[in-house]
Amino acid sequence: MRKLFFVIAIVVISTSCEDVIEVDLNTMQPKLVIEASLNWFKGTRGNEQFIKLSLTAPYFDNNIQPAVNASVRIKDQNNITYVFLEDEVKGLYINRNFVPKIDQTYKLLITYDDETYEGKEILKPVVDIDYVSQNMSGGILDEQTEIKAYYTDPEDEINFYFFEFVNKRSLAPSLEVYEDKFTNGNQIFGYYSTENLIAADEVVIRNYGISEQFYNYMFILLQQSSEVNGGPFETQPASVKGNCVNITNPDNYPLGYFRLSEVSEIIYTVQ
Amino acid sequence: MSIKEFVYIWLIICLPVFSYAQEKFTLSGKITDHHSNETLIGVNIIFPELKNGTITNEYGFYSITLNKGAYAFQVSYLGYKSLSGTITIDQNLTRNFELYEASENLAEIVITENVEKLNIRKPQMSVNSLSINTIKQMPVVLGEVDVIKSITLLPGVSNAGEGSSGFNVRGGAVDQNLILLDEATIFNASHLFGFFSVFNPDAIKDLKLYKGGIPAKYGGRVSSVLDIYQKEGNSKEFHMNGGIGLVSSRLLAEGPIKKEKGSFLFGGRSSYAHLFFPLFDLDSKAYFYDLNTKLSWQINSKNNIYLSGYFGRDVFKISDSFENTYGNAVINFRWNHLFSDKLFSNLSLIYSDYYYGLGLKFVEFEWNSGIKNFNLKYDLKHYISANFKLDYGFNSLYLTFNPGEIMPTTPTSGINPYNLTKKYAFENAVYIDAEHQLGPNLSVSYGARFSTFHRLGQTELNTYDNDQAVRYNEVLGIYEKAPIIGVSNYDRSDIIATFKNLEPRMAVAYQLNDNSSIKTSYNRMSQYLHLLSNTSSPTPLDVWAPSGKYIKPQLLDQLAVGYFNTLSNNQYSLEIEMFYKAIKNRIDYIDGANLIANDAIEQVILNGKAKAYGLEILLRKNEGQLQGWIAYTLSNSEQQTPGRSSVETGINNGEWYKTPYDKTHDISITSSYRLNKKWTFSSNFIFQTGQPTTFPNGQYEYNGMSIPNYEPRNSSRLSNYHRLDLSATLTPRADSVKKWKGEWVFGIYNVYGRKNASSIAFRQNSDTGINEANRLALFGIIPSFSYNFRF
Repeated sequence: MRKLFFVIAIVVISTSCEDVIEVDLNTMQPKLVIEASLNWFKGTRGNEQFIKLSLTAPYFDNNIQPAVNASVRIKDQNNITYVFLEDEVKGLYINRNFVPKIDQTYKLLITYDDETYEGKEILKPVVDIDYVSQNMSGGILDEQTEIKAYYTDPEDEINFYFFEFVNKRSLAPSLEVYEDKFTNGNQIFGYYSTENLIAADEVVIRNYGISEQFYNYMFILLQQSSEVNGGPFETQPASVKGNCVNITNPDNYPLGYFRLSEVSEIIYTVQ
Repeated sequence: MSIKEFVYIWLIICLPVFSYAQEKFTLSGKITDHHSNETLIGVNIIFPELKNGTITNEYGFYSITLNKGAYAFQVSYLGYKSLSGTITIDQNLTRNFELYEASENLAEIVITENVEKLNIRKPQMSVNSLSINTIKQMPVVLGEVDVIKSITLLPGVSNAGEGSSGFNVRGGAVDQNLILLDEATIFNASHLFGFFSVFNPDAIKDLKLYKGGIPAKYGGRVSSVLDIYQKEGNSKEFHMNGGIGLVSSRLLAEGPIKKEKGSFLFGGRSSYAHLFFPLFDLDSKAYFYDLNTKLSWQINSKNNIYLSGYFGRDVFKISDSFENTYGNAVINFRWNHLFSDKLFSNLSLIYSDYYYGLGLKFVEFEWNSGIKNFNLKYDLKHYISANFKLDYGFNSLYLTFNPGEIMPTTPTSGINPYNLTKKYAFENAVYIDAEHQLGPNLSVSYGARFSTFHRLGQTELNTYDNDQAVRYNEVLGIYEKAPIIGVSNYDRSDIIATFKNLEPRMAVAYQLNDNSSIKTSYNRMSQYLHLLSNTSSPTPLDVWAPSGKYIKPQLLDQLAVGYFNTLSNNQYSLEIEMFYKAIKNRIDYIDGANLIANDAIEQVILNGKAKAYGLEILLRKNEGQLQGWIAYTLSNSEQQTPGRSSVETGINNGEWYKTPYDKTHDISITSSYRLNKKWTFSSNFIFQTGQPTTFPNGQYEYNGMSIPNYEPRNSSRLSNYHRLDLSATLTPRADSVKKWKGEWVFGIYNVYGRKNASSIAFRQNSDTGINEANRLALFGIIPSFSYNFRF
């Protein structure tokens, strides 16, 4: 009898299945994707900055085309213009004399394919990462390496955080955004858990200061691209618009975001 | 039209009924099952020569007033032997009838009229009733008899697929169904995130689903009413029954407290699949249980009281780090009183609540949310004459909403305690509804419900510029949360928003001949509660929100016409209906709306409208060894959320878009074949157009991630859904005179192993970096068996 139940239980558990299928999808006209992430690492001058421009592709394509021959500029509050010039790497635009200032407003101006794009954002500060803790019983099943990067939220302001955990064993970085609504003024952590780390691996942990607008943007983006897609916390999927617009032809809106952040970084060695 | 005018006009219509009087007497009484003394709902009492009759109400009571005379009569009910005789009506009479189950006296193959017969004379249309026996014969996944899954086999009813909770009626949303268990509202009808429904089939007597022409007695939801009645319990002798299945087991005890005076019923059900988890080294728990209780007492021939309760919970636990509990609790006291043989009344006092709790140890906090309601209902049924009946009464609901409380679980937790603002509301309604036989071929019902909704005071009600909680960012072309410019605090006794709605209801039946009729109906309904859910299938975590300053009540207008025919001496029946409905104030969510722990839900909601129309065909075979039905629905369900001004885009550029529950074609074929006394075979076949969903139309790279770019909402569809289920029931010793009676039910769900997608997730393969479409199919071929017994 016990054996019988055993068989039945296996049938029940193994019946649901996930498989990869082919789906015919609609395809959009290519759009410009702006990855203008200006990061000022604490303790550096932050003068070397780059902006990446690319194009959207059909969903199942393996290649992403860069957006070449664009004119890229950033203007600060005092009307100083920083010109970003295309690098040897196609679609990468670089400026080595950028001057970052906390809480300053910057304006991004791009001309690509005879259309002009604009974006505006403030350079947001961030607190230091206080310390990093690690244990081996992370995740829902208590089997993963769990890393917590603690920081102290300033009590008298509304803050937003963007965490990035990078290690060489994972293809894509692990990204999280946090608001301080439920944690205002507390020492709280950025959370990362994974299966594939071993001792002596290095994990690069970065905490970026971000605006509320970027928090909202990234929150939706992460929901739509994460593994939990389809779960109870899912939002209605949509084309996610960032903070850049197409002045020439508003319907051909760009994707991506123009972000400026102060960054605190720690390189943590797994114990 | 004011209330006064309405009543006035209404009286003018009714007056002729009262104006002529002959010598008339009333025949009334109760109809019960001979063995259990259980009252029977919907029994027909027919006087063939008068072409008139009546049916028993939800409490087994009937009443009819006839001219003095002697008449032949017939009492018939599905699954029971018909009674016939003559009765002389020369004074007011009380006659109680006891019916015998049809299977009991037939020596050979039992051929019962087991499928619900069609009543072509009554103006009520768009209603389906299913007996629990019919439901129990259907093949089901894992052998778990499921009330909600069975009604999705009816025309006009579908659901979002396997493992999804709730059901959609005529293109309506899941939260637009009023689910009543012994008159108490059930807020979430699913177990295990929708795999099973909360109703223990052994405890249920009868259910009725109203899809249109909804009587004025019901209100508060705009799509449908699912009215479920629990058994009272056998008041003649003690019995137990139960079942052992793969997922859960059931046990139910019933018997007299005092013979033929009072009875009790206790039923319990629990799943136990989790007991095997340790075998697989899983340190997890996932189970549900529910308890049904009912006590009935007949004080005297004019007064009955009932106390009933339901308690159900689902528990999920993954090691120590994740714990999730949710479920309904209902307690309900009712008093039936007969003022006279013509006036039946029922008073109900109901408390019901829905609780949801979540504990996440690894992030060190607990969450709970829920809804509570107190309900006072008084319903009267007045059998004024054989041709005229009145239903009237009132309903008062006091509602408390807890949208969520967050508590840290450790002293060192970085989470601060946080309570989302509790909300309160008071919903009232009065109604009157007449059923009026205007001639030998024409009967009408007409009435109205007047409902009011008061949103009561709360703390921290946000205020916004121009009262607009959602701001349109013209530069970026997106909707954003508007800044909160202040908060108002109110006392609980304050009223912060009031809504009033007059809801007319109307139905007409015209009998073309003895076998066929045409019917039409109109109903307006209002719904003051909204389930906040931006997934196509609701989850237990979804919270209910009341209408108020920023959310308006949903208003429905529905028109239906139908043709009804019984063929070959009632062996077959055919129902064809067409409906059109329009709903105002159907909310939808702005792109990326986050509803979890959102204390200002108005900031992510846009007001829109919805419409649905369709054709339903139901062909039933009611008698014989082979019984069953074919249901086909052709329908369309759309919604529109336009911009509030010319510069705004609305959702999907302000155009109409499919609702997630739009199913163009929906076919169900349900049949059962009684081979002999031992064996019965059943099958279901279901085909549905795939549900609308949103797929990516491109991809791009951002911050090292591959990001899908999504097309406008619900522009694509999942692939078509279809499957076949089979089951066989073996009654080994059908003739046995022993008290113990058992039966085996063997079933195969999804016989040909169709991989029906419950969702398709688009993501990058974490090893190869290639984008993939991942189909999740919940159920492959699932064999099952269960054993049911009674003694």
